Amino acid sequence: MRKHFYGALGAAALGFAALTAPAMAQGTLRVAIPSNLNTLDAAKTKLGEEYIMNFLIFSGLVEVDGKGGVKPDLAESWTKSEDLKTWTFKLRPGVKFHNGRELEAEDVKATIARVMDKATGSTARVNFDIVESIETPDKGTVVFKLKIPYSGFAELFGDRQVRILPRDKFDTIASEPIGTGPFKFKAFRPGDRVELVKNPDYYIKGEPKLDAVTFRIMPESAAQVAALETGELDLVWSLPLETLDQFKKNPDVVIDSTPTSTWDGLIMNSAHKPFDDPRVRKAIAMALDKPALVEVALYGQGTPTHTMIPPSHPYYNKDIPIAAPDIEGAKKLLAEAGYPNGFEATLYLPNGRPTRERLGIAAKELLAPLGIKIELQRVPWDKFVKEIEGKAAFYTDGFYSRPTIDTSIYPWFHSAGSWNTQLWNYKNPAIDRVLDDARAAKTEDERAALYKKFQALAEEVPAGAIPYVQNHVNAFRKNVKGFSSSPMMWLDLRETTVQ
Amino acid sequence: MALYVIMRLLGIVAILAVMSVLVFAITQVMPGNVANVLAGQFADEATVRAIEHRLGLDAPAHVQYWRWAAGILSGNFGQSIVMERPVGPLVWEAFLSSALLASIAFVMVAVFGIVLGVVAAIRQNRFTDHAVSVFSYVGVSVPEFFWAIVGIIVFARYLDWLPSGGAGNLSQGFWAWASHLVLPVLTLTFTLIAHVSRLTRSSMIETLRSNYVRNARAKGLPEGVIIRRHALRNALLPTITVLAIDVGWLLGNIVVVEAVFSYPGIGRLLLFAIERHDLPLIQAGILLIAAVYCLANLIADLLYAYFNPKIRYGQIES
Repeated sequence: MRKHFYGALGAAALGFAALTAPAMAQGTLRVAIPSNLNTLDAAKTKLGEEYIMNFLIFSGLVEVDGKGGVKPDLAESWTKSEDLKTWTFKLRPGVKFHNGRELEAEDVKATIARVMDKATGSTARVNFDIVESIETPDKGTVVFKLKIPYSGFAELFGDRQVRILPRDKFDTIASEPIGTGPFKFKAFRPGDRVELVKNPDYYIKGEPKLDAVTFRIMPESAAQVAALETGELDLVWSLPLETLDQFKKNPDVVIDSTPTSTWDGLIMNSAHKPFDDPRVRKAIAMALDKPALVEVALYGQGTPTHTMIPPSHPYYNKDIPIAAPDIEGAKKLLAEAGYPNGFEATLYLPNGRPTRERLGIAAKELLAPLGIKIELQRVPWDKFVKEIEGKAAFYTDGFYSRPTIDTSIYPWFHSAGSWNTQLWNYKNPAIDRVLDDARAAKTEDERAALYKKFQALAEEVPAGAIPYVQNHVNAFRKNVKGFSSSPMMWLDLRETTVQ
Repeated sequence: MALYVIMRLLGIVAILAVMSVLVFAITQVMPGNVANVLAGQFADEATVRAIEHRLGLDAPAHVQYWRWAAGILSGNFGQSIVMERPVGPLVWEAFLSSALLASIAFVMVAVFGIVLGVVAAIRQNRFTDHAVSVFSYVGVSVPEFFWAIVGIIVFARYLDWLPSGGAGNLSQGFWAWASHLVLPVLTLTFTLIAHVSRLTRSSMIETLRSNYVRNARAKGLPEGVIIRRHALRNALLPTITVLAIDVGWLLGNIVVVEAVFSYPGIGRLLLFAIERHDLPLIQAGILLIAAVYCLANLIADLLYAYFNPKIRYGQIES
């Protein structure tokens, strides 16, 4: 009996050794993503993984160009009225959905009307509150009438939830998406994989170059690392920053890092003492060592900044330096505010958001010299959203890159902004005025000047502390060509090939 | 016997009904609901209300429960709220994937656990016995996610013999398919084998010391016959109980193993559903798992009766 048992073990071991990975299909890119998708309905998407699909399966009216502006996508051209309240988009003729039906202006109208419907629950809805009416004078023209002058309206259509969907397929779009994008949806096995294949009728001739893309849903980073090293995968999207070191010595793997406007912040709620006093907020902001926070929270994969406008953006205000921490100055401000010996505070951290957890831990140490005694408390994400955000006095939070400058700032900093009252209750009339003016700015120079002024104002009377913007890091094997990481953190695979 | 089985099956139905109420109640008291999840991080009240209305979540709890339960009774498990696709196929497909993993692991645990236990008992206090002890203690005392990651690093990353995770497809060939199962099954087996082998060992040792075994030896029966025909049958009784309990363990461990090996099973689906408060998905998943556990216990009880003539269900005469 014993002999048989050992014999069986030996045979099993030999069997394992003989196994090999299946032969790879040519022109198929295999990508790892960490989380399962909730939905494939672009209007309802909220996760980075879902945004990837949005840009591969669907198209928007416009496309972000990565330099702070937009370029044509489904809209071939657009014009705005003198008062910035009427916007007319001309659709690219002959664009077909994956089911062969031609794209029409009615599809655009129905898509946006659906995003604007509260029951859809799209996070892009607030951006379209300014829309008064949508008209379709002919099959190739859409006219938007706005309630207010809004200079960045075309940019809104580069956003992730505002992909144009076929109006007759809304009820099945979440599980069988049909779009006009470079890749067609083939299959989604929840928890396992998403498979896309080339759209041969994509409106840009010769693109995409790949035959297919397979996304593997792999939550465990050790598994991602192993699979990339052995060639079981071609690309790991949004590499966990703590695994970066493991690839440094591997000649077959390229680490591609790009600055984004995704930010984390130390949120100080003005509705609560002592953060109602701007001097306290300013003191805390002054005491933070931003480059050190980049090292600790992001393993160096980020850039110190003033607000969510990243240093890579043309509107970034270079005249304001990233100041070294000023403990003495901060102490003086705290004393003026009536806290010469500091105070005690609980800092809430969202569980499972590693960069924000590390930011909080570092802040505790950096603020100790001011006499601020911080008790850290980790909170599960559910509870964090319901009970901490907008309600607690002191917590760390963070936000994904937004495609337009106005939608990146206005909701957080304007006193009427949709997220302001659910984050830090910040009210600054000077900033309100600047942000409103920027919306109605007629020229690019005027707009840039206003946003630079905004940064100076926010630095002077901080809402909280935004120490850095993060880098987005992808790792891919040498045989992947024609790929570069996008600041929007989605994957543009139109020019990509696997050799 | 048949009457006994029918009674037990009715009991299982009652347990599942109670479970469904419990799960529903728990999801009601959890902070947040699926409308919050769908509306996103900073949605205003009006948006959340609009979504709740669209999904019928603004109805009183007992009405919601009844709608759902009535659906199940008519064979309709409803629609996943978050994924907007039917729950039935979603849960069933994930369950089959897990069942494959779990049943291979279960057979491995049973076979190797019993074999190791018996070997250790026969070679009591000798090298083989100690080796089995060390092996099983290490297995039981180190959590499965550790072994899983060690497995990935050694067999996938350095040796490159096995894939690091995912599920294979039979269309790619048998080995390509089977190779995806090796690491998850080994991880599950390794952490559970100790229970079975330890218990089999002690009950085997006890049996080998009993009078009837001494009689058998005195009668001159070969040792192999004594062990296989006489001792093992009795020594296995407690093992059967533990194996049934291990089904529960297995279902718990499988959640972790599926996550580490990116295996698309019921454990991960359930985790996903719970994080997103997707009630129809949570309910269907939990009911299925509860049903499996109840059935495993029933089968264990029946096996017990088969191996131990002292217990015979449903017979009046003693």
